[in-house]
Amino acid sequence: MRTPFRGFTAILYKEFLVVLRDPATLFFMIFPPLIQMIAFGYALDTDVRNLPLVVLDEDRTAESRRILDDFVNTGTFRYAGEVSSIEELSLRMRQGKAAAALQIPPGFTRDLHAGRTAHVQVLIDGSNSTTASSALNTSIGLAFRESIRRLLGSLARREPPVEVRPQILYNPAMRSPNFFVPGVIGLVLQIATVFATAMSLVRERERGTLEQLLVSPMSRWGLMLGKIVPYLFMGMIMACGLFAIMRWLFHVPIAGDVTALLVASFLYIFALLSLGLLISTRAQNQMQALQMTMTFLLPSVFFSGFIFPRDTMPWIFQALGAALPATYFIELMRAIILRGATMVEFWQHLAILAGMGAGLFVLCVLRFRNRIA
Amino acid sequence: MSPDDGTVMIECENLTRRFGHFTAVDSVSLQVRKGSIFGFLGPNGSGKSTVIRMLCGILAPTSGSARIAGFDVVRQPNAIKGLIGYMSQKFSLYDELTVAENLQFYGRLYGLRGKTLDARRNELIELTRLQPYLNRRAGLLSGGWRQRLAMACSLLHQPPVLFLDEPTAGIDPVARRELWDLLFEFSGRGMTLFVTTHYMDEAERCSHVGYIHMSKLVVCGVPDDLKSLPAVNPPNTRRLDITCDNVTVGLQALRRLEGVRTATVFGQSMHLLVDDGLQEQTIRNELARVGIAQADIYPIGPSLEDVFVALTSLNNGATPVPK
Repeated sequence: MRTPFRGFTAILYKEFLVVLRDPATLFFMIFPPLIQMIAFGYALDTDVRNLPLVVLDEDRTAESRRILDDFVNTGTFRYAGEVSSIEELSLRMRQGKAAAALQIPPGFTRDLHAGRTAHVQVLIDGSNSTTASSALNTSIGLAFRESIRRLLGSLARREPPVEVRPQILYNPAMRSPNFFVPGVIGLVLQIATVFATAMSLVRERERGTLEQLLVSPMSRWGLMLGKIVPYLFMGMIMACGLFAIMRWLFHVPIAGDVTALLVASFLYIFALLSLGLLISTRAQNQMQALQMTMTFLLPSVFFSGFIFPRDTMPWIFQALGAALPATYFIELMRAIILRGATMVEFWQHLAILAGMGAGLFVLCVLRFRNRIA
Repeated sequence: MSPDDGTVMIECENLTRRFGHFTAVDSVSLQVRKGSIFGFLGPNGSGKSTVIRMLCGILAPTSGSARIAGFDVVRQPNAIKGLIGYMSQKFSLYDELTVAENLQFYGRLYGLRGKTLDARRNELIELTRLQPYLNRRAGLLSGGWRQRLAMACSLLHQPPVLFLDEPTAGIDPVARRELWDLLFEFSGRGMTLFVTTHYMDEAERCSHVGYIHMSKLVVCGVPDDLKSLPAVNPPNTRRLDITCDNVTVGLQALRRLEGVRTATVFGQSMHLLVDDGLQEQTIRNELARVGIAQADIYPIGPSLEDVFVALTSLNNGATPVPK
């Protein structure tokens, strides 16, 4: 008669039916996250390639042609036409038709052959810092390589005196999908799951069915558990779909154990659903629930290390990030997917996620009174 | 057990609920005995639903106490939950679920399983005649059928006490009558019913009525007792029913007549409260003066509406019978 989870199976039965009954709702719960994932995955590509480069060649020699070819051959730039004056060059840059401009002054070849320093000017559009820094690094690197090659030639040496051989582990091609897509999974899961449970109790309150539940002998543990379990199932299905897209559409190899991925996802989804339920116990209507959900979303984008590394943030934002489930999940994803880390190595992250989930769940049960006011 | 063995099933003493500075329910005390149908009346916002919510244990009273079958609603909320059924003002069904699924869900919510649940469900389906609609979604039912389903859901666990918050609001007259037939049947089986309504004719059907006005319970008792209260029947007056053509014209004329205390239209007739000294012929003459030649006049007793009007104006400090 007084089991702690009284009413659990009834709520579970009802929630499953409500979710499965309406294919449109189910579709809109599962499908948009997959689309978001694909869209985010493609949009968040920081590999800079094919920046439009215009040329003002005032030297017009074979050597000046060759230096232009060197720029284009890096892959960072693509040839976007020639201009005949400095004014035209500025115009193109201002209009955004060129991200960089190469100005080769008259006498470039003459200086080169005479053994003097031959100057080349590279103008870079700094209004986008990502493309600008990439263009800058490529230009400097190109100048160094060219200078060393010529110096070695004059010194009759084949090898430079010092050589650094960097080796990039785990993501040798530096593909940005490998870096971003695991993070995108964390965000997309957050959007879909928090919202799903944030709405559930609010909807019952708006419809008046909550009152009917409250007069019944159902326990609040039974209610909350019955509300969370169906969404846990759906969240896991969604997570598997997202991992499949990551693996086969974005070709991100999974270095670690799939079980570890699923365990991490389960704990993360549990924490998010509990957060949603907690919102649900507070919000009086769907609008409020939506606003509260959004309040948690933005910090998860900025302070979780999803885009910007957390190490460089001021301590306050690092602390904020440390309170977000997304932070731990994204770190876990990168560790397991890219570095092949095991659950044992990252038990602390898993424990924190589990603790957050359990803590939030208990909190929302305690916050929920078997009363309407 | 006989339907009414004197057991008090619902009782509250000085039940009060404040929301901030607003007092929604002000010191309401009442008792409802086993097997009776208690009609709870009052205008919108007078505090009817708030009283029901407190009696059901889902809203804490600011002060005062309430008991269901002897169990305190605040201190023993779990004890009362199995004893009460509640049909809230909003249709508290899950629209996406079919009729059968709604019944299944509410049954399980109250811990019914297997054969017991099937038996209870079949019994209620038969009683409410929901059989043809079992596989229809609740959202697609008309008002009357939704109300039957809601009632069936709230009765699955065989509660001895049933609260109904405006069960007949917005349903057609046939469905309304059928619903009342069901209520009488339950009451006959010993169930105690607590019903809020706006309809005076429904109030007349109740074994006991209470009228709440401006958060205060102004009347409570058996309809016939209330109708014979001195405040309702001022000394040296009587009530008349006058049926004639052009009642509105007649009403205007009679309201000005010496000796007529109140006059109201009831469909094709008027209800008058007049001084005993006023002769029937005086009324006929006055009607003839405004062109109404034919009128049937006979004495009547007060209606519950008269009771509520009289007692509400008393309560407001106004003279109960103006003139």
